[in-house]
Amino acid sequence: MSDRETLWNPYAPLTAHQRRLLGVGTVLFVLAAWAIVSATGLVGPNRLPAPWSVANALVLLAWDGAEHRSLLLTATAWSLMRVVSAGVLVVMIGVPLGVLMGAAPRINAALSPLIDPFRSAPVVALLPILVMWLGIGEWMKIVFLFIGAVVYLIPMVRDAILAVPQAYWISARDIGATPWECIRQAVLPIAMPRIFDGIIVAVSVMWTYITVAEYINAQEGLGQLIQNARRFSAMDQVFAGIIVIMALALISYQLMRYVRQRLYPWETAQ
Amino acid sequence: MNVVATTSAPVSLKLERIVQDYPAVAGGTNRVIDDVTLNFEGPGINMLLGPSGCGKSTLLRMMGGVRPNDVKTPSAGTIEIDGKSCDGAHEDVITVFQRYANRPDLSVFDNVAMPFRFKLWRERASNTEWTRRVRETIAAVGLADKERLLPAQLSGGQNQRVALARALVLQPRILLMDEPFAALDAQTRGDMQELLVDLFKQQPCLVVFVTHDVTEAMVLGDRVTVFSAQPGRVADDFRIEAVRPRMDLWLRSTDGLAMQQRILAQLHQSAGHGRVAVTV
Repeated sequence: MSDRETLWNPYAPLTAHQRRLLGVGTVLFVLAAWAIVSATGLVGPNRLPAPWSVANALVLLAWDGAEHRSLLLTATAWSLMRVVSAGVLVVMIGVPLGVLMGAAPRINAALSPLIDPFRSAPVVALLPILVMWLGIGEWMKIVFLFIGAVVYLIPMVRDAILAVPQAYWISARDIGATPWECIRQAVLPIAMPRIFDGIIVAVSVMWTYITVAEYINAQEGLGQLIQNARRFSAMDQVFAGIIVIMALALISYQLMRYVRQRLYPWETAQ
Repeated sequence: MNVVATTSAPVSLKLERIVQDYPAVAGGTNRVIDDVTLNFEGPGINMLLGPSGCGKSTLLRMMGGVRPNDVKTPSAGTIEIDGKSCDGAHEDVITVFQRYANRPDLSVFDNVAMPFRFKLWRERASNTEWTRRVRETIAAVGLADKERLLPAQLSGGQNQRVALARALVLQPRILLMDEPFAALDAQTRGDMQELLVDLFKQQPCLVVFVTHDVTEAMVLGDRVTVFSAQPGRVADDFRIEAVRPRMDLWLRSTDGLAMQQRILAQLHQSAGHGRVAVTV
């Protein structure tokens, strides 16, 4: 790695060991810098809690011995439930809609002006409107997550369909497939890995929006936990909450990556 | 091997005064095919030979019923199969493309059995019947021991065998081949040509084979139609009587060399025309 030839060469392979070493090294470096900054009092605990107080907060949130309860566990369960229910809706509606748009240029032409601009729309700004329409209950939160994620998923699914080489379509038509059979048998199976990538992105997006979704009137949830801690200036708990959300997002990402690899092993073999 | 019951019914494919224009980038139209009349009868391997851009692939796609959405195809002229005008996909006509389009997630067996996932063919053969046919066709193209493998585990030539088997399993009366071996290395291409000759002997049908390779045309063809460059016109059209398989010996014989000279002269001449046509 010290070698210049391999440092500035995008095609130079790293061993798994090297990759792990560099990744862990960076994280440890940041943690060390954080610890030093806190220990020397360079930045006060009100602005940046020390790593050990964040760890303490994590432990306390994980199990409150005095109250005999785990705030973290209940909050995680609630947030997870919201992400999963919104996720099911996102997949059930986003995938078919994206496939239809990819498969039929007319449907694409008709719907893309409705969907594409939302990718760069301030979805967070929709929240007050959703509150006005749906109230402050559970539905509002799920619909918010749904909108935030589905506007990413639909164009990705459409593009996955459009990326399938026309040769598949033409040769399926040639051996007597109806247009629907072509989509079902020749196009969709080949687009599936990329569609799955879209689902992975959609879930990541939902994890970033979960705190916003739980900003308003949440009794439970990680977003509420962070919001609550902020109100009491418990910065260590804010950090702990953020770390838990990031960990959950990372775990679900890795899990879905694994599932993708198991479902479509041929994709990497090509 | 009895993949296909030999069809004794005569088959004919007629192209009558075909013209194809495409809109030119600069405006106006570009004539790709100009007044092509061809008549193919009965079983035989018919080679369409020409430089790239002479419209031979466009012509083949027309025969196969592959029509672009934005351009009327053909611009003028008619295509007849067995005396009946035909302007779309036809179930007796199957094409093997250069891009073999095998599904990467399915085994060789399932790829060859693909047509039987479609209503059109599923209704015509019982499960045991099509399973047997798929097995036999896979054996016929020499992949009997690779039935369970995925396309990624096969070479380019073997993948093209899969595509060929998927076409042959339907026992087409007319088999169209669009430069199917052009992307293969020379050795594999030779093997595939041998295989095609072999399969044709066992189940003769009407083959129309597009190529830009003079040797391929001479090795395979009962008949060779040479096209001029853009716009594509029939520049030469002749039969080859020599018995297949035609080995190097025949290619280097007086007959073979004379034929090669004749074709090359035609191609050079039409290539000259092509250049003139482009500048006009």
